Amino acid sequence: MLRAIARHTAVIAVIAFIAFPVAWAILTSFKPPPEIYDLSPLAKHPTLANYDAAVTQFPLGRLLLNTTIMAAGVTAGQVVVCVLAGYGFVAFRFRAKRLLYAATIGSILVPQTCLIIPDYLIAARLGWVDNYLGLIVPQIAACAFGVMLLRQHMEAIPASLVESAKIDGATHRQILTRLVIPLLRPAISALAVLVFLSSWNEYLWPLLIASGSGNSTIQVGLALFQTQEGSEYGPMMAAATITTLPVLIVYLLNQRRVTDAFLHAGLR
Amino acid sequence: MTAIPRPWGDGRELSVPLRLPSPGPALYLLPVVAFLLVWIYLPLLFTGVLSFLHWNLVSGSRPYAGPQNYTQLFRQGEFARAAGNTAAYIIGLLPFATVFPMAMAITLWKHPGRASLVYRSLLFLPVVLAPVAVAISWQFILAPLQGVLDTALTWAHLPAPDWLGSGATALWTVAVITGTKIFALNVLVYLAALAAVDRGCLDAARIDGASEWAVTRHILVPLLSRTTALTSFLCLVLGGQWTFVNIAVLTQGGPLGRTDNVYYFLYQYGFSFFNTGVASASAVVITVVLAITVAAHQFAARRLVASDQ
Repeated sequence: MLRAIARHTAVIAVIAFIAFPVAWAILTSFKPPPEIYDLSPLAKHPTLANYDAAVTQFPLGRLLLNTTIMAAGVTAGQVVVCVLAGYGFVAFRFRAKRLLYAATIGSILVPQTCLIIPDYLIAARLGWVDNYLGLIVPQIAACAFGVMLLRQHMEAIPASLVESAKIDGATHRQILTRLVIPLLRPAISALAVLVFLSSWNEYLWPLLIASGSGNSTIQVGLALFQTQEGSEYGPMMAAATITTLPVLIVYLLNQRRVTDAFLHAGLR
Repeated sequence: MTAIPRPWGDGRELSVPLRLPSPGPALYLLPVVAFLLVWIYLPLLFTGVLSFLHWNLVSGSRPYAGPQNYTQLFRQGEFARAAGNTAAYIIGLLPFATVFPMAMAITLWKHPGRASLVYRSLLFLPVVLAPVAVAISWQFILAPLQGVLDTALTWAHLPAPDWLGSGATALWTVAVITGTKIFALNVLVYLAALAAVDRGCLDAARIDGASEWAVTRHILVPLLSRTTALTSFLCLVLGGQWTFVNIAVLTQGGPLGRTDNVYYFLYQYGFSFFNTGVASASAVVITVVLAITVAAHQFAARRLVASDQ
């Protein structure tokens, strides 16, 4: 009994440490300026003034819209590329297949930071600075994990199913759209969840390619807000809360699906 | 009992070969090849070229620099310090990637139930939360003088350091903040590995009189060794990159370069100092070091497998 209490206390302490910053930010966002630094977690005179200030100083709606469009675009693009590539690697035999697959997986090891200069130059040359194409297209290239994931799942499809589809006269396109994609729906939705989340949280690329405050994403806007408003912590915590809340709600409503997505994909 | 159907991708031909009139694999693989070439592999080559030129990202002339960018990189000491800090980050992150999540996962796994499920989903939170928002929240908590942590410490008559502003603590503070996220992800990874462990095997040991600690130490930890090899390898390769957002938001590499790492160094040379040559040279060095690390790991893993047989 005593051991059980000790165990629960230890686990709860770790969770408290992990969740503390976000919880404290949310609680602080309701405090008026004189109480901002109080140790008491709850505001004595709760106020929404910080949210008012954040919304007026921060093109919030625009940034949320940009981020949603970007994350949706990257997700759609990666899913299409990964499904096609996964099928290409499983359904065909051709020379250099192993080499091509190794090159695909090897791209995981190239650090994103090492590519920012040339990628920026290419995007700039294409006229993609400060627009959605620049935000979305280069992020689709980070698709190696998805290719690996979908290939593994496609390889596990029973051969007899593919064979009978073939006997029935199905073409590759029909096998892919009528057999493989419906069978892989859980893996594909897991991939979509993962890609959406990581793109929503992406900071470095949007910072470089869309630094204009109205054209950027919520992560960049928040960081910009922090450098500009310095120690105005009240509105900043309100802005941080608004940034976190959509993801938090999505996660709490679909916990199982989100954690399973991360497990499905191995590691990310 | 039905036989397990043969998987499609087991390497054998289908009994009905899939040779159909169609453009073949090219059509399906074209998009992935195009994306990887345009945004990853050609840029990598391009980086190599840029590392031998003097350039500021905008000017029309790009004089050939020879090895000058590399000599500058290695002579300056700034890059060496960033590399040392990167190593320190990796060491600091290692327990958050291995021991801590393993201990937490074993604790949760040994006592399944409703509470464990709730803990499990709460522990995962840092993985999904926006890193910039989390970093800003930490900055507020850790603010010197008035931040809630230092206020509490002063109230308890304990020393209240300037966590992110002093050279002695800044790097480790950034490492711990980054560590919470890695910890959260790896708890899940270890739990997944434990799901495959046969609980009966532990009961047998317990009946033989093994203590809980002995069960953990001599059965579970060895069973998880493959997972630990993976988590520590990923920490080695990716640890430096994981810290990037927190450095960018919390310290910008300061105080006096104490929290700089090689990735932030590259970013600053490229986009704050507009020194494309030195930034590209550092990118080349980072990529080569990573490639060597991965190759060495692959080689060692193969040798290990070979010696097992």
